[in-house]
Amino acid sequence: MIYSVVGHYSLILGLCVALILIFFSIQNFKNSNQLDTKILSFSFLQLFFVLISFLALIISFVISDFSNETVFNNSHTTKPLFYKISGTWGNHEGSLLLWLLVLTLFIFIFLLRTKNQPIKYKILTLGFQQVIIISFFLFLIQTSNPFNYLFPVPDEGLGLNPILQDPALAIHPPILYLGYVGSSIIFSSALAATTLKMVSTSWATHIKKWVLISWIFLTLGILLGSIWAYYELGWGGFWFWDPVENVSLMPWLALTTLLHCILVLERKEILTSWVIVLSIATFTLSMCGTFLVRSGILNSVHTFANDPERGLFILIFLFALIFLSLFIFFFFHQNSKNNSSNFFWLSKETSILVNNWFMMYFLSVVLIGTVYPIFLDVISSQKISVGPPFYHKLIAPFLIPFLFAMAIGPRLKWIRSDLKDKIYLIFLLIISVLISFFIVKNFNTNILINTILISSALYLFFITLRDFVNKKYKNFAQNTAHFGFSLLILSILLNNLFSSEIITNLKVGETYDNSKTKIFFESINQEKEKNYKSIIANFNITNSEGINNNLSPELRIYNQPNITTSEADIKTTLLKDKFIVINLVQNQDYFNVRYQVKPFMLWIWLSVIMISIGGLVSFLQKRI
Amino acid sequence: MKIFKAFIIIFFLLFFNNLYANENSQRNEITKNLRCLICQGQSVYDSDSDFANSMKILVDKKLDQGLSEKEIYIYFKEKYGDWILYDPGLNKNTYLLWLLPILIFVFGGAIIFKRSIFKNN
Repeated sequence: MIYSVVGHYSLILGLCVALILIFFSIQNFKNSNQLDTKILSFSFLQLFFVLISFLALIISFVISDFSNETVFNNSHTTKPLFYKISGTWGNHEGSLLLWLLVLTLFIFIFLLRTKNQPIKYKILTLGFQQVIIISFFLFLIQTSNPFNYLFPVPDEGLGLNPILQDPALAIHPPILYLGYVGSSIIFSSALAATTLKMVSTSWATHIKKWVLISWIFLTLGILLGSIWAYYELGWGGFWFWDPVENVSLMPWLALTTLLHCILVLERKEILTSWVIVLSIATFTLSMCGTFLVRSGILNSVHTFANDPERGLFILIFLFALIFLSLFIFFFFHQNSKNNSSNFFWLSKETSILVNNWFMMYFLSVVLIGTVYPIFLDVISSQKISVGPPFYHKLIAPFLIPFLFAMAIGPRLKWIRSDLKDKIYLIFLLIISVLISFFIVKNFNTNILINTILISSALYLFFITLRDFVNKKYKNFAQNTAHFGFSLLILSILLNNLFSSEIITNLKVGETYDNSKTKIFFESINQEKEKNYKSIIANFNITNSEGINNNLSPELRIYNQPNITTSEADIKTTLLKDKFIVINLVQNQDYFNVRYQVKPFMLWIWLSVIMISIGGLVSFLQKRI
Repeated sequence: MKIFKAFIIIFFLLFFNNLYANENSQRNEITKNLRCLICQGQSVYDSDSDFANSMKILVDKKLDQGLSEKEIYIYFKEKYGDWILYDPGLNKNTYLLWLLPILIFVFGGAIIFKRSIFKNN
């Protein structure tokens, strides 16, 4: 009760500080010899208020204060403490509060850490950021106040959706938000830099750090979501081209494009308009994602909370953002005087442009694939589904030249270059094609496309691998990231080819046996946990090589809310995952058993981690 | 160094030559492309709902009757509409969906081509 009051007023105070900050910014902007210390203090104060409000919500969750509507809707006394806390951001209101917290935290760090940049630029960035912050304050207080009061106070809460009660999903939202919100800083500072006509090489170096931060967090955030989907949603896939996944992928694609493009701007004052457009696009896409997820117009496996009123608010905010940025872009932006924006075809600049070209294509595929069905439904009320086959058909063929460009591009020099070691490159190409053919020939799939796809990924793999050994090579960060990417694509392709599965119905004591695998359903245990009952099935699985594995998938019957989830049991080894999951067959004592062998799963996760390590190295290293 | 590289290559060749996969049944391929109509964004293959299970049986039945993959898709499309198919075929509703990305790609390529200098001066 008291915590809700504190939290609520703390939010209002934070909003007031935002207004004060805007006032001081304007004053300081007119007279900008030095940064007004008041701005820094008030910025800290704002962070402080939002933090208090956030802590108040966490405490309300911890003590199960059901006079708070958010707590009532999303918590339960029998829930473990860890999920009480993670439940704070496992719902719409709390996640927005977290979003706001990160917004204020980032702008404070930005003010504190930005040196060697003009005062006016810092103030203007703060101003734009405050506009976003104020919108979020209003959104939170108006449509999704986390501190709504309930009377009479209920005895018990409704509980958190059980599939959200999971360690990976507990930290997934904060990490993802750090990425999303980081892009807001890029947005504000790009607008500020445009207004002040200071989009330059030094600005590029400065903003690159922020691009990297958001990029690292976004990458890891997507990874966590994917891992969670893999073991929790219970069918052994890790990416479903689901709209909600797509909306997190879109800002990532834009951010990756921006990251590469900034490398050019860092050296020469060209492509300025493009960098600005990308900076604006990244944040706009993040907001678009929020709109699509929160408004509930998507049919998705991840849609948990939605409300049309909220959707409308975000939509208006989104249009205001786009309008504001377009206005600033066309009104203030000056193309660089330097008109020699043509590049020699064999140069690093051109290869980065090729990267941008393909990334934009991938982005457009994902964007169009996600929103087209919505528009078609509105215009002609025809419902169509756009699923994995669409994305695979449009993305896979284009991945081939993309991977080759990724292998060759970084070896080129700026401005003008010649390809060295031609013989070696061709030799590696032949090796890659040979290996791929050996892999693919055992399958009756489409041999040609698979061979070429795997060859191109292998080619990138070998070239980056060699560059690690080759000490002359300097750009360790880039090489790590590209190596990680080749590993990712390879793992996905091989995983796709080699995965096998058995689906069958079994009773306790029965054995499934085909020539390669024997599945013995040994026994069944029942256990009672604090907030769920669990049925644990024990299987003994023998494969053709005589290797024995005991796997125990689980069914959890949660009491609040009353939902059954199935927990897969996964045995992870370096080369393959063994994945088993059970489901009840209605009104029978049979269980539906799904057993999958999925090679290289671990490498999919590791390669994404490697990609982000590449980003981290680049973030930590000083510019040479 | 060269021995090391040769070793890696031989390792790869031997390693992959020994891998075989279990053939995925045609039923799995088909059910992956069908939407489970009562679920939130799951395919029939992924889902264990009653609806999905009866669909799986139906697909098996149709395969037994000797229908090809395409014919089965047409059958479901006529019964439930386009919504059930995850692969939106090319028709008058989806020309834009398929062609717009390609157009964007061609357009982007044209810009880069125009900005490239090919002469060696």
